[in-house]
Amino acid sequence: MNILVVKNLTKKFKKFVAVDNISFSLREGEILGLLGPNGAGKTTTIQMLLGVLLPTSGEVRVFDKELHAHKEEILEKVNFSSTYTDLPWRLSVFENLHFLSYLYDIKNRKERIKKVSNIFRLEKLLSQPISELSSGQITRVNLAKAFLNFPKILFLDEPTASLDPDTAKYVRDFLLSERKNFNMSIVWTSHNMAEVEEVCDRVIFINKGRLIADDPPSQLAKTIEVSHVELNVSDGLKRTIEMCGKDSIHYRLEGRNIVVDLKEKEIPDFLKKLMDKGVYYTEISINKPSLEDYFLQVVKQKR
Amino acid sequence: MKLHRLIAINLRFFYNLRRSYDRLSDVFYWPALDLFIWGLTSSFFVSIAPEFPNLIFSILAGQILWIFLWRGQYEISVNLLEDLWNRNLINIFVSPLKFSEWIAALVIHGILKAFISFLFAALFAFFLYKTNIFSFGFSMIPFMILLIMTGWTIGFFVAALILRYGTKVQTLAWTLGGLFGPFSAIYYPVSILPDWGRFIAAFVPSSYVFEGMREVINKGQLNTHLLLVSFILNLIYLILALFFLSRSFRKVLEKGLVKVY
Repeated sequence: MNILVVKNLTKKFKKFVAVDNISFSLREGEILGLLGPNGAGKTTTIQMLLGVLLPTSGEVRVFDKELHAHKEEILEKVNFSSTYTDLPWRLSVFENLHFLSYLYDIKNRKERIKKVSNIFRLEKLLSQPISELSSGQITRVNLAKAFLNFPKILFLDEPTASLDPDTAKYVRDFLLSERKNFNMSIVWTSHNMAEVEEVCDRVIFINKGRLIADDPPSQLAKTIEVSHVELNVSDGLKRTIEMCGKDSIHYRLEGRNIVVDLKEKEIPDFLKKLMDKGVYYTEISINKPSLEDYFLQVVKQKR
Repeated sequence: MKLHRLIAINLRFFYNLRRSYDRLSDVFYWPALDLFIWGLTSSFFVSIAPEFPNLIFSILAGQILWIFLWRGQYEISVNLLEDLWNRNLINIFVSPLKFSEWIAALVIHGILKAFISFLFAALFAFFLYKTNIFSFGFSMIPFMILLIMTGWTIGFFVAALILRYGTKVQTLAWTLGGLFGPFSAIYYPVSILPDWGRFIAAFVPSSYVFEGMREVINKGQLNTHLLLVSFILNLIYLILALFFLSRSFRKVLEKGLVKVY
């Protein structure tokens, strides 16, 4: 069931079109990645979905209700966390969560604050003012805030950007378990493509305000045909380079290593040719195209 | 309008008050210092002109009642700034909070803090200068209401400008209210003002309140006509300021709440 439906959404700032007629939906229990280069229109889109930016045209329906007509009711079941927004910095972590729990009319406020503090490992920081926390700790407070009201839809803007790898993994695992247990839907923006591939069921890709792809991450990666074949050449590097040049194969050198871009079906032929030329290599790795390759290709094409 | 959301915003600013020396000095230090200076100044005037024994009370009462106008405007504009400085507006408005609730919460917060400052200043004046502001009796109530209404009008107007132009016009939060001081005739009668000043004062609702206050002190009677004029002016300005503020908020939503700073 779709719980968020976006139809022909457009935002213009005078003559600049920030978001250009995009349509997509979010299913219940789905984690949707919202990707695109800087300035693509991701933040503008999220702001419109949260009701803090009015669209120039188009429609946003949440829980089958028009967003602006039912904003109050909808926002009770939605929350947002961004690495790039702050909380009142003089207030302690507890004070911030306390006033926000009133805002969302949370029952058993203190119990709920204790619960989200435990989840995001904030127990020892509750009495500390936000101004004394590290950026990673603030990110965890923002995530705790986002979970206060048991949201049905969560918008996460680079949720793990300032977290150490251990905490980032913990947060990802927690979000996946919340989705599984409560059928929560998440809209996730990130520049960490590996993370998006791991977490998101589907990805929509925005560039220059336009939606250019809407597929599962693995499907998007498959649209890239080229794999990277990395060889540690012990004898015959010059011959390999000459062969690449002759056959117009794209390559780059990294010390004694050569990384060659080849379509999957071309790899056996290429390796046979190397053997025929008496090239010896001690290591070989074949990296299949990833979401990052897709991202880089799209950005390069559209530039 | 949901009570829990009004409590939330008030709680946010009370927590801030507790932790901020700036905000604490606004509530206690400045009113005390003003009263101290004006009390001594008026005592000096009375010592050289003993035929005006009400002067001390008149000046100190003006000073104490001015708190209502000042706090009314200050709490609205400075608390908006607090959320801009903290980049917290987005957290507030992605919640179910309505704009009208946010305004109402700021108004309530202004009233609460005005009363805290007022009671503190009243006690201060009583112990230091034996001046009892409560001797006005019930006539003090319309004075308070009318002055805080003027304060809200200024506060809404400044908030609307800050929403439109960001923190580059934040100085208005501390300066615009003060501009009304001379034309409100807090310490002296309106008749002292030059012609152009009297013309401006005629459009300033608080000038009628302070004139009315002096009539109570000097003649012992409450001039309801002055209060009525003040109320009508206040009502017109308040409606215009609220309209301007809601238009500004709409403009902010058109350009994006995160872009306001």
